[in-house]
Amino acid sequence: MYKIMMFTGGVYKFSELKERIHDIGGFILQEMVMQTETMMHLAFPEEEERIIRDKAKQTGGKLKELPLAGAEIMVVVPSLGKHHAVDPMCDIAEFLRRKGAITNMMGLARGVGKRIAQITTREKEIIEECDAAVFVFGDFKECLEVKSKICESIDVPYIITGGEPEVKIEHYVGNIGRKTARMRHREEIDMLEILTEKIESLIDDRRRELDEDPLATSPLFMKEILDLVLPPKAGEEFSTIMQLEGLRVKIEAGDEEKLKNVEIGKRKLSDICEIKKSEYDGYILKILPEAVTGNVF
Amino acid sequence: MEVKVEGGGEFCDASYEKICMTTLRDISLESNIDSVYMNCNAAEHVFIISVKIGRVQSPITVSDMTIKGDERLTVTTETYVPKLLDLLWDRYGEKVEQISRLEIALKIDDDEMQKLMSQVVYDPRVDLNTRILDGIDRILPEGARVRQPIRSTGRITIIASENPIKEEWKEKAKAMLSKMTKGDS
Repeated sequence: MYKIMMFTGGVYKFSELKERIHDIGGFILQEMVMQTETMMHLAFPEEEERIIRDKAKQTGGKLKELPLAGAEIMVVVPSLGKHHAVDPMCDIAEFLRRKGAITNMMGLARGVGKRIAQITTREKEIIEECDAAVFVFGDFKECLEVKSKICESIDVPYIITGGEPEVKIEHYVGNIGRKTARMRHREEIDMLEILTEKIESLIDDRRRELDEDPLATSPLFMKEILDLVLPPKAGEEFSTIMQLEGLRVKIEAGDEEKLKNVEIGKRKLSDICEIKKSEYDGYILKILPEAVTGNVF
Repeated sequence: MEVKVEGGGEFCDASYEKICMTTLRDISLESNIDSVYMNCNAAEHVFIISVKIGRVQSPITVSDMTIKGDERLTVTTETYVPKLLDLLWDRYGEKVEQISRLEIALKIDDDEMQKLMSQVVYDPRVDLNTRILDGIDRILPEGARVRQPIRSTGRITIIASENPIKEEWKEKAKAMLSKMTKGDS
């Protein structure tokens, strides 16, 4: 299994660190050099962590764990109105990003209220394209209990957040609710930490399931190849987004055939992946288990 | 400004008190409101909010926000500049030119300038109700879109719900209101 971490430090021996990552079969997911400062997201085999830590120590940089790296998470609010945006919606999304996740934000078309709250099939499909979802609801216990029913049909792991501290709902995190200012106090940060821990455990469960029935290839490896074959346009960031079971690829219209024919090991990409046009952005590549595709390399 | 929220439970009452305070402060209504009372009944999804209007700032004239110079005005309070420019362009058209952020040139004679200085640029009383209603809209839960105002002097009271508002709730709101107005006097 790969471990994803963030390195921050100076330029001293930075290229040596990058070389070392490649030597041990790791990947560089994101790299930013700002004059003398560097930031890099790196993935490497878990058992090689000591080597990377030693090298990072030599360069004088710091390594930080990114427990949610490699997961795409949807933050869902009842509407995009001023009652929910920007706080706490953006605070939650920002906190998840700090933990390494790629986040999307979504306001439901008819998600407000108690009895009248609804979710459409299309919204459900968009949410299910991601690895997990966080539903950010309001303060009242009675509303939360009724409203949580719209989340029950969602097929991906999810967390519900609300104001009331104790509500009998599965995967519930309280003490957040409606906010009119940024969540920057100690107790608010603690609640965000609890929220992240709960998502982390849901994502870890999914990762363990995937370990038992491994994918034909790692999304990390596939991202590396796709970035070479279909390079991002100038100035474009995150053209390929990693998910637990595959990738979200943002390609130009007409490149679909090229994408299908990309060679991964001995096989074509279309043989080892389910390719689906996203309801939201780009294409979703879902890598099939090795048990289905056979050996790729 | 005094804020009291009841009926939602300990956490929700505290949270909505904070929401009331920050929302009304954000839209600069804090000094124009004496008190806010809110009653939340999430089980039946009925919310009653009553705002007692307090003192309102007197109208802002041109002389309150500018210093008269030789064929020019120097702005001292920038908040009302868009409204001032609107007024000047409307009255004098091309004779007005904004030279810099705080300087406005005016090609008008002294008498006209004198008259202009007493002109009202902005009267906060004109749009006070609209601003309070905007504040109430931001405070009340978004799903509570069915609204019913209750008439009274010096107060704006709204019943909000996602369901049609029953007579029973109107009566309850009126009873609350009369109790509050007794307290006011």
